[in-house]
Amino acid sequence: MSTTTTTTLPASTTANNLPTAKTMLASLLRADLTTQWRNRRASLLVILVPTIILISWKGLVERIGGPSVLSNCITVGLMAIGLMGYSNTTARDRDKGIFQRLRVTPAPTWTIMISRLTVQLLMIIIMTLVLFLVGYQADHISLNPAGYALGLLVAIAGGAVYLSLGQVIVGLIKNPETVNVVVRLVYFLFIMTGMFGELGMLGDFVQKAIKWSPYGCVNRIVSAGLAPSTWTADTSKYLLVTIGYSLLFIFLGIRWFKWSTK
Amino acid sequence: MNLHTNEPVLQVEGLDVRYGEFKAVRNVSFDVRPGEIFGLVGPNGAGKTSTLSAVEGLIKPSAGTIRVAGFDNRKQAMQAKASMGVQLQSTSFQPELNILEIIQLYAGIYGLSLGKERIETILDDIRLQDSASKRFGQLSGGQQQRVSLVIATIHQPPLVLLDEPTTGLDPQSRRQLWERIEAMRDKGHGILLTTHSMEEAESICDRIAIIDHGQIITIDTPQTIIDTHRDKPEVIAASRKGRITLEDVFIGLTGSAVRS
Repeated sequence: MSTTTTTTLPASTTANNLPTAKTMLASLLRADLTTQWRNRRASLLVILVPTIILISWKGLVERIGGPSVLSNCITVGLMAIGLMGYSNTTARDRDKGIFQRLRVTPAPTWTIMISRLTVQLLMIIIMTLVLFLVGYQADHISLNPAGYALGLLVAIAGGAVYLSLGQVIVGLIKNPETVNVVVRLVYFLFIMTGMFGELGMLGDFVQKAIKWSPYGCVNRIVSAGLAPSTWTADTSKYLLVTIGYSLLFIFLGIRWFKWSTK
Repeated sequence: MNLHTNEPVLQVEGLDVRYGEFKAVRNVSFDVRPGEIFGLVGPNGAGKTSTLSAVEGLIKPSAGTIRVAGFDNRKQAMQAKASMGVQLQSTSFQPELNILEIIQLYAGIYGLSLGKERIETILDDIRLQDSASKRFGQLSGGQQQRVSLVIATIHQPPLVLLDEPTTGLDPQSRRQLWERIEAMRDKGHGILLTTHSMEEAESICDRIAIIDHGQIITIDTPQTIIDTHRDKPEVIAASRKGRITLEDVFIGLTGSAVRS
């Protein structure tokens, strides 16, 4: 034991010289992007589902219009990224203690979350661009530049709703297997009630309810975003409700989020 | 903090941790000095992990103060966290990242700029120079522990916290890890480790605290603890080898009933 001797350890390099949050965020972001890249098969599957729907709905372009077809597919993709991708990855990493390991470092907790959300945001952008491309190539859906730009922006706004909803689910449920089951259930529930409900197949009440649900609001703002000339005062209301949903889910998801499964 | 003094790298005073009505830790006080391996031992549910979690800043104590290298771990949380290195019980790095990427991630978080040479030295030191591109999930338990230990000390923290570091390791890996922990002590790190192994506590710890039902029963060097309690009837009753060991004292002081 050497408690009575002087020590040779150099003074901690960081305690009095902490790196900026920006530096820490950059390191976290690099690691999270690498992790996402290594899981690219799962990411491809997430993009593949709306892409297949888009190709198979070619016949509907004439009937309901290109922007409408595209907006439905983007909405499905946004749900897949927010619910299936983000929630499952977060639940798995929490179960492995990856968050706890990061929390014992000087990195502020918000940098850990922002880094992960940024990666998902990138996924949303990639998915939307892929659908624009496939829509153009396979379904001959052509939009004006303003439509592409606004469509991308509202897709990000809509994606925030599903990311924050995923955050609520992963915040309320600790077990990663249960999270996986619940997000799949919510995903299919949203798609089924959303699509069939919108078409009036589940009755008037459901149709009206769907209109103001996260699915309906996101679908409408994305659809109007892709065809800016169709943007009305009602669309602005849907956008406000979308932002409201995001804020509510973010509040609930952060309020109840548990960093550890223990 | 000037580490060329003998000031404690960790000071815990009057620590209380509550989970609702349940008091997991009651009025716990101890310190860890530079160049010392301090063992926190106790049965399951004794309060070891709660104490460690409070030091790590993962849970908020209901009372008491914790200072890491002179920094209050609530009021100066960032500085306190920067002054400690932690090895958690479970594997806790992204399995998709390779060793090099994990080192770069944590070096970035601590604001260190590690050159190629320095990284090679680190990998060489843990004998993983040929596995730099191996993903963490592909490493053996012993290799994962070595990576974990390197990350815990990458920023040369005054305090290193090791939560049951040798659990699940084979005897060779365990001995090797002991040597590494002792080498860290020789460099001047103050080390707080929790363990279930009395052999480990007796072999490498300079001082130990036995904790049970959230309270510290005794703190001293392993040999002094044995000498102090060797004549107690419950310790003699626990003896199995004809001589009193730390495990006999531990069983004698904490009881032989199995804890959940």
